Amino acid sequence: MPSRLKTTALAALFSATTLTAALADGPIRIAVNEWTGQHLSAHIAGTMLEKMGMEVEYVTAGAVPQIAALSDGSLHFNPEIWTNNSGDIFPKAVESGDIEVVGSLGLSPQEGWYYPPYMAEKCPGLPSYEALYDCAQAFAAADTFPDGRLITYPADWGTRSKVLVERIGVPFQPVAGGSEGAMVAELKSAIAAEQPMLMMFWEPHWIHADIDLDIVEWDRSSADCDADESQKRGDACGFSQANILKVVSSDFADEYPEAYAFIQNYTLDNTIQNALIQKVDQDGMEVEEAVAEWIADNEAVWSMWME
Amino acid sequence: MNAIPRGPLVWLALAALTLVLWLTGGPLATYPDAWIASPAAAMNAGMDAFTDAAGAGFRAVGSVLEWPVDGAQALLGLLPWSVTTAVFVLLGYYGSGWRLAVFVALAMLYMAGIGYWDESMNSLAIVLISVPMAVAIGFALGVLGFYSARARRVIMPVLDVLQTIPAFAYLLPILILFGFGTTVGLVASILYAFPPMVRNTILGLRAVPEEIIEAGTISGATAAQLFWKVRFPAARAQLLLGVNQTTMAALSMVIIASIIGGTNDIGWEVLSAMRKADFGVSLLTGFVLALIAMALDRITHGFATRPRAIEWEGRSPWAVAAAVVGGVAMLSLLIPALRDWPEALVWDPAPAMNAALERVIVEGRAWIDGIKNSAFFYVMLPIKIGLAKAVSPFTWGFALTPALIAGYAALVLGLAALAWRSGRTTLAALIPLWGVVSYIGLTQTPWLALVGIVVHTAYVTGGRRLALGAAAGMAFLLLAGIWPEAVLSLYLCGIAVLICFVLGTALGVWASESRTVSAILRPVMDTLQTMPVFVILIPFLMFFKIGEFTALLAIIAYAIVPAIRYTEHGLRNLPASVLEAAETMGCTRWQLLTRVKLPLALPAIMLGLNQTILYGIGMLVIAALVGTTGLGQQIYIGLGNGDFGVGMTAGIGMAIIAMIADRMTQAVSRKRQERFGMRMAGM
Repeated sequence: MPSRLKTTALAALFSATTLTAALADGPIRIAVNEWTGQHLSAHIAGTMLEKMGMEVEYVTAGAVPQIAALSDGSLHFNPEIWTNNSGDIFPKAVESGDIEVVGSLGLSPQEGWYYPPYMAEKCPGLPSYEALYDCAQAFAAADTFPDGRLITYPADWGTRSKVLVERIGVPFQPVAGGSEGAMVAELKSAIAAEQPMLMMFWEPHWIHADIDLDIVEWDRSSADCDADESQKRGDACGFSQANILKVVSSDFADEYPEAYAFIQNYTLDNTIQNALIQKVDQDGMEVEEAVAEWIADNEAVWSMWME
Repeated sequence: MNAIPRGPLVWLALAALTLVLWLTGGPLATYPDAWIASPAAAMNAGMDAFTDAAGAGFRAVGSVLEWPVDGAQALLGLLPWSVTTAVFVLLGYYGSGWRLAVFVALAMLYMAGIGYWDESMNSLAIVLISVPMAVAIGFALGVLGFYSARARRVIMPVLDVLQTIPAFAYLLPILILFGFGTTVGLVASILYAFPPMVRNTILGLRAVPEEIIEAGTISGATAAQLFWKVRFPAARAQLLLGVNQTTMAALSMVIIASIIGGTNDIGWEVLSAMRKADFGVSLLTGFVLALIAMALDRITHGFATRPRAIEWEGRSPWAVAAAVVGGVAMLSLLIPALRDWPEALVWDPAPAMNAALERVIVEGRAWIDGIKNSAFFYVMLPIKIGLAKAVSPFTWGFALTPALIAGYAALVLGLAALAWRSGRTTLAALIPLWGVVSYIGLTQTPWLALVGIVVHTAYVTGGRRLALGAAAGMAFLLLAGIWPEAVLSLYLCGIAVLICFVLGTALGVWASESRTVSAILRPVMDTLQTMPVFVILIPFLMFFKIGEFTALLAIIAYAIVPAIRYTEHGLRNLPASVLEAAETMGCTRWQLLTRVKLPLALPAIMLGLNQTILYGIGMLVIAALVGTTGLGQQIYIGLGNGDFGVGMTAGIGMAIIAMIADRMTQAVSRKRQERFGMRMAGM
């Protein structure tokens, strides 16, 4: 009996080692997250790597779990990691050297309070945040009346909107959005019925290809605005803006030096991504198709990444 | 009647304590932060140490477990859709006949027809591997628990923990231990799916009548024969219910595990659609999971209940099946459309569905808001923050003046006096307590008073041990610093469970009396239990917006199913001899139901209530996706930050609430049973 156990254990160990060995020489495993923009960034990079003669595999992965996967080498590369939705696990993994940040992708994200254009008619002072003080009631719902209703990020994404509401004393009640799906559902439903709406949101996001949204403007902008406790009415900067980073697993540079060199050069900007998002989410094109078309038309752009 | 017994006095004292503490405030009303000693950090340290020590072993197991899933996925991915369909249609036919075969065929055509064949097969592969494993583990533990009381004392709390610590809370440790990949989904779905099998195995084996066992013993059966030839067949109905529940649970887990990623399965598609709030696509893809569940359930059910030998016009069924599958495979080599579903034939009604939903929202806005606001203002808000704060000119149309407050107090005291005069002293003491708590509201009730109320309720229902257990559990909630979240969860879940139990039991009774109702309810329940709840969330969200009302509806939609199912099952599977006896005694249908059937079915109904509570608490996590505050939200904060300790603390908090509620209901059920037993004996 013990000898049989040993054999099983050995077999298990063996399989584990062969598997890791197979991974090292196998395809480059690129993370695919739940949103279209990231699909595009991943597929553009993947297609280029294939052009360079490398084998690529796309693996679906959640925003937080993928950090664990990148740390243990089951995933190799994600071109578009948002520092604001990867949790505390991301900075920890960077610090411990389990994953490597290769630089920023080049997308410039914007976060803030968004509203549909019809709200500007009900609250003429918009887009300045000063207008919100006077027409909070135009944004009110039954459960927040007479304060306005502000949908914030889900609680697990942090409480930045709530903090800002308290700092600048705007008469709004922050309501945690629960999840991205809930927030989008709320947006769609409110806009369909032209109902009051003010929501913490971000771009680039595919929804901007679908509906018009305007963003509330502040007095000034500041890189570490979130930490700025001196913010008050008349001197508000809103929010710090997130970073979008290219991330690889720790051994990646040694194992795939060519691919690593490419990733260092790889950049995208909002215009490119938004146009492609529009094609996929609005015109119903497949991601692969849209990427192939873009690559065919933009040799000038991608040839710079190959140097 | 002369001396007031002690029990009621305690209730009165608790009412007074609640009121006094609420009026005075202070550290006994609001638990001070300085008294918090959260175990989260220690848990993280422990988990790190454990991963360092045992991580390699778990990874090895993980990579071994990956093989069967990868193999099944590769096989199902390789086979042409027509061949896989043929195999499952044949299984359906042999299992139960042509009706099931047609159902399976339509289900498979649906998966191919909406263009999600590959994703569906990836999910099917996980389920095909995880369900047999979960059933085997559950059955083995159930048998162990049946024979050994000591084992049962260990198994039962573990089951409660597994079923109540929400899957989301243990996804993270599974991910840390087993590594990223399909294993996470497999392990999570086994862990989540085997508890119902254990419960049903124990219940089924216990319910085997002694006469049958005696008959077996007399005819000289060995212990093994007694088990496999006597107990096992006699318990088959309950065991099958276990398989059914396990299959459903495993499928519902498939989508939750998709959050991790690793496979391009149907759960991932549902989640992506959820993120986009794409109602049409999420419903279409979510329905695939429901169809897989229903088909697997009916097929296993069919094979378990059909007569042993099957023959088809004298030929072996295997030969016929092999010939059919071989024929389809040959055809698919010739006709490419039978290999891969042609793109031109993909049917996509999602945009039309989205448009229809939007139209309903725009046109039904007035009554949608009406429903929501009245439920919110008149039911949820008063329970949450009490009449003291909920009644305002904006919500109820008038303010709570001192005169009204005095009137309210007089009403409560009057009712109490009335109850006292008619001799119901306990009720008379409970009314003031109820009056005080309704006035203050659950979230505003001083913690010490709430602890007292719960502990005393535990003492009254389950005796000293339950009271001690409840006190220890609440001490954990307080010390861990999750008391406010726990009370919010209690409030939301309490309302939901109450509605589920009342409505669900009524529906279950109706279904047991009417075949038509039963036939209508069954697929609806299967769909509710297996259709990822996220999917129901989207239309609810669009109608009722982010907030607690939407969460309440979602919890009800999910947790009502066991209440219906167990009630119907209990009522339908009563010993025929007793029913006949009652009928010959001249019972009317109503008497038969209320005097005979319901009391006899009470254990099953209570198991349903028990499951409703556990499901309701489990749903709290999903409810947090639509913006509730409570323990569910804490679990996301833990998961979102990769913080094992925070998520686990909240998970244990949920398990504590669930277990206290569960033990109370069990104790009440036992007492009732004894009472009915006595009454029947004296009949």
